[in-house]
Amino acid sequence: MELSEYVQKGFQMLADPGSFDSNAFTLLLRAAFQSLLDAQADEAVLDHPDLKHIDPVVLKHCHTAAATYILEAGKQRADKSTLSTYLEDCKFDRERIELFCTEYQNNKNSLESLLGSIGRSLPHITDVSWRLEYQIKTNQLHKMYRPAYLVTLNVENTDSRSHPEISFSCNMEQLQDLVGKLKDASKSVERATQL
Amino acid sequence: MLLDLSEEHKEHLAFLPRVDSTVVAEFGRIAVEFLRRGSNPKIYEGAARKLNVSSDTVQHGVEGLTYLLTESSKLMISELDFQDSVFVLGFSEELNKLLLQLYLDNRKEIRTILSELAPDLPSYHSLEWRLDVQLASRSLRQ
Repeated sequence: MELSEYVQKGFQMLADPGSFDSNAFTLLLRAAFQSLLDAQADEAVLDHPDLKHIDPVVLKHCHTAAATYILEAGKQRADKSTLSTYLEDCKFDRERIELFCTEYQNNKNSLESLLGSIGRSLPHITDVSWRLEYQIKTNQLHKMYRPAYLVTLNVENTDSRSHPEISFSCNMEQLQDLVGKLKDASKSVERATQL
Repeated sequence: MLLDLSEEHKEHLAFLPRVDSTVVAEFGRIAVEFLRRGSNPKIYEGAARKLNVSSDTVQHGVEGLTYLLTESSKLMISELDFQDSVFVLGFSEELNKLLLQLYLDNRKEIRTILSELAPDLPSYHSLEWRLDVQLASRSLRQ
């Protein structure tokens, strides 16, 4: 994992019990995770009374360094030994390394989930509604007497948070074709997951 | 249900008994072809020259026949009703039979063509699917 000097410096400060006592260290660490993972988090995350005595510039530097490191570790799916090695290099003592790894472990799933949700993807279906109708006549054709389906797919796009709808009509054969193909697709997924 | 033919329509159709039944059959074929592909006025001119009448007369004759067929097909009138509707035109038995046959032979296809004119929603065509497994993204590896 390639990390900048800025991050390294930040961690070296974090490692120093003179700058951050145990309590402050824990608070900063939690703040870093919170900023990343909590959707409601704001700048006030560093406003804890027990952090007031620390120079705000230092506080910001370390917070940024920690957040950067956490994201990089999450992206690379770093394991405990990778984390430990880097933290040792930054002169973290055993206790702080353990603390960091524990916090990381606790937040690992949310972190990976967050990172995984970034990026473009195709919209996905969230719901389906259908309507069966019976066509009797149009202005051009009387005595039709044929059933038809109107299907609406509710779709969600993680990017734009838009919820467009895809609507289409189909007759009985077309619906059977659609359902048949969906069954094929789902069987394929089952087989693939069993491999 | 009987067809209600307007005076103008009856006038146009009055051309039909003046020509041979093969000509009427040919007009019938042209009428259905025009429904399938759109009309082609050049055909009227060719026919008009051969029959020694104005191309307008031919056009009216073919259009009259077309309208007769489309109205009958739209309403899906029974054989009996068709015969009764055409009876008022005072045509010969032979011509009446020919017109009935024209109706019965082409009704299904004409109804299919008419159904394409209805308001329509996008409709299902086919489904293609692909199973993908995401290995990594820019923000998450492995």
